[in-house]
Amino acid sequence: MKFTIFQDSRIGQRASNQDRIAYSYSRETLLMLVADGMGGHLYGEIAAQIATEIIVGAFQREARPSLDDPTHFLRLALDNAHNAILDYAFDKYLPEAPRTTIVVCVVQHGSAWWAHAGDSRLYVLREGRIAAQTRDHSRVRMLLDHGLIRPEQAERHPERNRIYSCLGGDQLPQIDFSPRQTLQEEDVVALCSDGVWGPLGDAGMLAGLTDGDIMQRVPQLLDRAETLGGPTCDNLSIVAMRWHGGATGTVPFIETELLAPDHFTTHMDSFDTTTLGAGDVEFSDEDIERAIDEINATIRKFNK
Amino acid sequence: MSVLANAALPAGFEIDQYRIERRLSHGGFSIVYLAHDAEGKPVAIKEYLPNSLALRKEGETAPHIPSRHQVAFRYGMKCFFEEGRSLAKLMHPNVVRVLNFFRTNGTVYMVMEFEKGRTLNEYIQKHRGKVPERFIRAVFSRTLNGLREVHSHKMLHLDIKPSNIYLRTNGTPLLLDFGAARQTLMSEQPMLKPMYTPGFAPPEQYTDRENLGPWSDLYSVGASMYACIVGNAPPRADERIQVETLLPLTERKPAGYSLELLETVDWCLQLDPLKRPQSAYSLQKAVMRREEGDALPAGLFADAESRLRSFIERG
Repeated sequence: MKFTIFQDSRIGQRASNQDRIAYSYSRETLLMLVADGMGGHLYGEIAAQIATEIIVGAFQREARPSLDDPTHFLRLALDNAHNAILDYAFDKYLPEAPRTTIVVCVVQHGSAWWAHAGDSRLYVLREGRIAAQTRDHSRVRMLLDHGLIRPEQAERHPERNRIYSCLGGDQLPQIDFSPRQTLQEEDVVALCSDGVWGPLGDAGMLAGLTDGDIMQRVPQLLDRAETLGGPTCDNLSIVAMRWHGGATGTVPFIETELLAPDHFTTHMDSFDTTTLGAGDVEFSDEDIERAIDEINATIRKFNK
Repeated sequence: MSVLANAALPAGFEIDQYRIERRLSHGGFSIVYLAHDAEGKPVAIKEYLPNSLALRKEGETAPHIPSRHQVAFRYGMKCFFEEGRSLAKLMHPNVVRVLNFFRTNGTVYMVMEFEKGRTLNEYIQKHRGKVPERFIRAVFSRTLNGLREVHSHKMLHLDIKPSNIYLRTNGTPLLLDFGAARQTLMSEQPMLKPMYTPGFAPPEQYTDRENLGPWSDLYSVGASMYACIVGNAPPRADERIQVETLLPLTERKPAGYSLELLETVDWCLQLDPLKRPQSAYSLQKAVMRREEGDALPAGLFADAESRLRSFIERG
């Protein structure tokens, strides 16, 4: 597996950066994600962080060195991330669970699978066109689909930030799963928050990433988005990967054949305003039995 | 659908090592039964059965849980375990004791000690407006003993009210129903809103839940003392924030109560958490303060005082 990857997250003109980005890869599988925390305060950031840690953690447990079923993996990881956010709210007595958008992509054996909730996007760029992209879970997207507004209206629509699906919050997320997408050499897979695609639009994303070395093109793309974003520029986050398939290139790409089967390389922003209890995401039959045994053991200990 | 309530297990039904005698109470989250263990000792069994997520018809033993509610049902179960886990660690004469925990019939059960008595609520209803100060001080100083134990385990009760304060036949109170875990169901589904009892819940329980703390339970203790004196709950805190409708007891001046006690209740019922007593201990000191010539049976507080001493020594 050969690819070049670059990620960056900038604060824009906001007081804090509530976006989280990460990529992690084993010898055979690559995971990329962008989470954009919502809510205007610390909690959005926490939701994005929890989702990132849970999903990356699940990936590292299961991609040894590949995932049995990428779609199934995505489904479980996103469900668990959602529940982990609810658990956090539960533990901290928060008035409501914090929220975050999510877009996650798995690349394995020459194909890509992705899943998303909210308006963080994934683009597959191929030969100067958009070969695939996610469909935002947003009011504006819905209005567009129903033909109620025109694309140029959408760009300035006052409710363009309103989304109806996310992880956390008080509703079950609506998560869309992509079919398997076979990658071709030189394809670019880019995941980004609305702080990036918002100012640039599809055309700007395409123009910015189509050719050249993504190690240089991505920072330029972010510069442009930040300039266009102006004095209210949102957080800007992107993970972009150029696929080299089996061919060799002139750019310094990552060659994962060299990794041991259980070796992972992960790039994720550090975050120290919260700590998570590890693994408290699922509640299986075994968990129930264990909880009961634990309680009964405590009862016996204290009733002596 | 929402009007459908879950059918209780019938009398004589055998479950684990227990035999059900009758239903004691029925909440939105659970059913509590009076049962007997193999040796004939009475116990209270709480069955996890959230009305909004699971339905059990008459004559059935296991509830039906629609697949769309599976996740929420499991999540609620986790909260139910939280309550059990918390209670299992507490061993205090004024806190209800958990005896056993088991799983059957597609749900889970918590077995608690059962003692003869009645709730403070029943007592208030019977002696409306005539609950003596001496009784109030005695009941609440001991209830606060139990609450201190709860708080020292870094837990909050969050549903203190007269119907959750149980009076044994010898008069000593027992704190029941640790709903704290239940509170947290709010985030899963809109239908699992936290349950609290209007009038007894502090303002921060409605809105700024990050401000919850020991002072939140103390608001509820104050509201319960208020109910003893006035005969009903104080106005809801969420409404008091909009327009203050509570006439402080020190202005209301009900006959037969010392100014000190009325001041203590007013202190607890402050909307601003910082203006309330900050610890169960400080409130307990105020509740235990005795007037000259107040004939209190010395033995009543003996246990509380020794505990206070040990607290001071530790601190």
